[in-house]
Amino acid sequence: MGGNRQNNLQDIRICLKNNLYSQSKFVGNIKERNQVQDLLQRTVKFGESNSALLIGPKSSGKTKLINDVINELQSKSSFKKDSILVKLNGMIHTDDRLSLKSITSQMNLENVVDGKVFGTFAENLSFLLACLRTGEKHTSRSVVFILEEFDLFCFHHNQTLLYNLFDISQSAQAPICILGITCRLDVIELLEKRVKSRFSHRQIFLFPTDSEKSLDYALEKLEYYLIISENFGYKINPEVKNKWNSNVHNILKDKKFKNIIQRLVEIDTSERTLKNILINIIYKLKEECLTVDMFQEEINTLERDDILVTLQDLNVLELCLLIAMKHHSEIYEGQSMNFEMVFSRYIKFVKTNSNIQSVPRSVVMKALEHLQSLELIAMINVGGGAKTQKEYQFFNLLVMPSQVNEAIKKTPGLPTEVVQWSSSSYA
Amino acid sequence: MDSNLIKSMPHRRTQIEHLYNLFAHKNEPQIESVYIYGGPSSGKTVVVQRVLEILEVNHAVINLIECYSSRILFESILNKISGHKLNPLNPTPYARCDNMMDFLYNIEKLNEVKKLDGFVLVLDSAEELRNMEFNLLPCFLRLRELTGISICVVLISELVFEKFYTKGGGIEPIKIHFPQYNKIELLEILSLDIDYCRNMILEHFNKFIEFDLDFYKNYLNLFLSVFYRSCRDLSELRYMSRINFIKYCEPVINNEHTIEDSMALWRHISPILKSSLEVLYLRLDTTKSANIKEKPNPTLELPFYAKYILIAAYLASYNPAKDDKRLFMKHHGKQKKKLKDIKLKSKVSEQLNTQLGPKPFVFDRLLAIFYSILDDKDNKMGFNNNVLVQISSLIELRLLSLVSDSCFLDGQKYKCNVNFEFIQFVSKSVGFEIKKYLSDFSHI
Repeated sequence: MGGNRQNNLQDIRICLKNNLYSQSKFVGNIKERNQVQDLLQRTVKFGESNSALLIGPKSSGKTKLINDVINELQSKSSFKKDSILVKLNGMIHTDDRLSLKSITSQMNLENVVDGKVFGTFAENLSFLLACLRTGEKHTSRSVVFILEEFDLFCFHHNQTLLYNLFDISQSAQAPICILGITCRLDVIELLEKRVKSRFSHRQIFLFPTDSEKSLDYALEKLEYYLIISENFGYKINPEVKNKWNSNVHNILKDKKFKNIIQRLVEIDTSERTLKNILINIIYKLKEECLTVDMFQEEINTLERDDILVTLQDLNVLELCLLIAMKHHSEIYEGQSMNFEMVFSRYIKFVKTNSNIQSVPRSVVMKALEHLQSLELIAMINVGGGAKTQKEYQFFNLLVMPSQVNEAIKKTPGLPTEVVQWSSSSYA
Repeated sequence: MDSNLIKSMPHRRTQIEHLYNLFAHKNEPQIESVYIYGGPSSGKTVVVQRVLEILEVNHAVINLIECYSSRILFESILNKISGHKLNPLNPTPYARCDNMMDFLYNIEKLNEVKKLDGFVLVLDSAEELRNMEFNLLPCFLRLRELTGISICVVLISELVFEKFYTKGGGIEPIKIHFPQYNKIELLEILSLDIDYCRNMILEHFNKFIEFDLDFYKNYLNLFLSVFYRSCRDLSELRYMSRINFIKYCEPVINNEHTIEDSMALWRHISPILKSSLEVLYLRLDTTKSANIKEKPNPTLELPFYAKYILIAAYLASYNPAKDDKRLFMKHHGKQKKKLKDIKLKSKVSEQLNTQLGPKPFVFDRLLAIFYSILDDKDNKMGFNNNVLVQISSLIELRLLSLVSDSCFLDGQKYKCNVNFEFIQFVSKSVGFEIKKYLSDFSHI
């Protein structure tokens, strides 16, 4: 029986994981999708050259949209035969030389180019395109360039790649279609004047609509991810599946659960956050049912302040130093400080409280260095910082006073003097 | 789940379970990236490694500290994945790899030879990634998306993830926090050391003493009561506890106290513990110096006049030039008490010169102060080569530093690099009262 239950659980887990990771079909934004599809088709069918930018916030489905369109076109028409797809990513192809190398290999032209010496970048690129041209305008193969993280290409030297690509798309050379994908709204401003003038200024925006930010939409998505559907490749015991699905339906109707999701939607509507929460829950599944508490727990960890957790890991000495820094920045309105100032403030505190063990200077210094390595404080270099002694280097506190107070409150077993010192208004 | 693993790493149960859940099911789809953070020696790397080993997950662990350039990083990852062993005579990597593009290409190529699905790449001290090329961190966080192979990247760091946010923005990985051990947990973990300590005592004294866990825990309690407030780092505490345990057992070995007499042992150890707190993190070898109370001498043996030059330099660095007349001239005339002077007495410590660091001074001023403080001692020394040689040797010793460009032969500027503790020691050795001549203290 035990083994059977294990299997059932495993089945459910696999189904849910597949739900999460499978490249689901693109939904919504019909208008934009048609626009992109139309653009690509015109390039391939009629040999028109086009350029467009797809702009939208992170994880709004930009790449998914393009992939979806391309998959559809490739499955249907003679798209594959008539065109070549070149995908570049600004994160990977960090300069024009790499981009060109990648373009060559994606066009399968390495053996043609091999051994040739090119004078300029443009020459090289146009040679590549000329290789594709077998006859007239209508018979040559068109090239579809998809530039992900388009904004990063704008920082390449002289924007040579972009200039050449847009230049080709403007002049009636080989038909190419350039699709840029970016999340920067000001991307047009990044283009140089000569590049900008060659761009078609076709911009397609993908913004989440208000309905996508609502609770109902989030619940819909949750249902999509959690329900094990009928037409699913994986075999699963129908009884187990029905039990699971009814459990999910029940939970989706639960009022407390809705409150939790409402809270989540108010914090973050991105798909990534929702998925991360689901991953944590699904991977932790021990029984074949979901509970509201699981979600509550995940929301709690999402809302947790990581800095606070790090502060609680500090020892008493380091917390004392942070309190001294907090007092300093409160008194001097956020001015920077150095080790000597913090140390003398700390010594003053130790002297007034006989219970607190005094710690030698070198250990305090080490504690300060630990705070620095945790990046709770940041050194500022005022004129040749390397030359000044460590004790006199100025730094800023990167933690909010309220965070220090909160951490002091939450850390158990602190000496009462320290707690009082932290809450006292003067030091 | 492996109960041995949980037992061998006390108080890491939730973290082990979390990792186990993420990596145990190899035939199921895998997550993209995990971020593991927590204080020093909280067991991050060990737990990850052991979990992956026990689950027999194909993995590679790279420490970013070893990879100071992206090329070394890429090549060592590829070496580990491919199992390529470097030949010491002709160390050629598996593949030359300068940039992310080549790296991804090589990964895809490797995937054809070895199935890389389900591979886990562990990057330790991941905060170093931020100091390398901008594209590394976001690329590693979405390695699966870029390669199309189900590779999971585990980042380990001491920082919170918000320190990794960049302008370009990466993706949020799944985060696992390793909390620092508290006092009770530390006591339990340190008491696992008992067998090691038995052997250590045997080796150190060539004599075996029988003690039980209570005796050892008793010692650890004393030890932690001194150390816990200033250190929660397990590996440092373990090191210190071992060193001091030898000292703790000494009276028993010498038959001064019995093993039951815990009060006497406590009286014996408590000053030793306090003084060894001073060398926390310093890892000084105390075995050679017989007496631990004897502090390491903070000063170098300097010649007499060099000491005075150093003192003069300190005074020049930490006194404002306008106070020189008042401090160093014998007949500077009567001082009028001004409102400013009264204010000076209520000067807050943050404005003290000794807290703000040394100010540069010119050579002439150094000489003037030097001769003025020598005068007090009725010591005459002419201005000659010796003085100049002393100054340059002080610079060589980094006790003074040259601030201005060395191409100006005239009016060179210097700064004094020693702290107050040090200069107090030096001035005491020549019988000079430094506080009298510091404007921060002279009004007291």
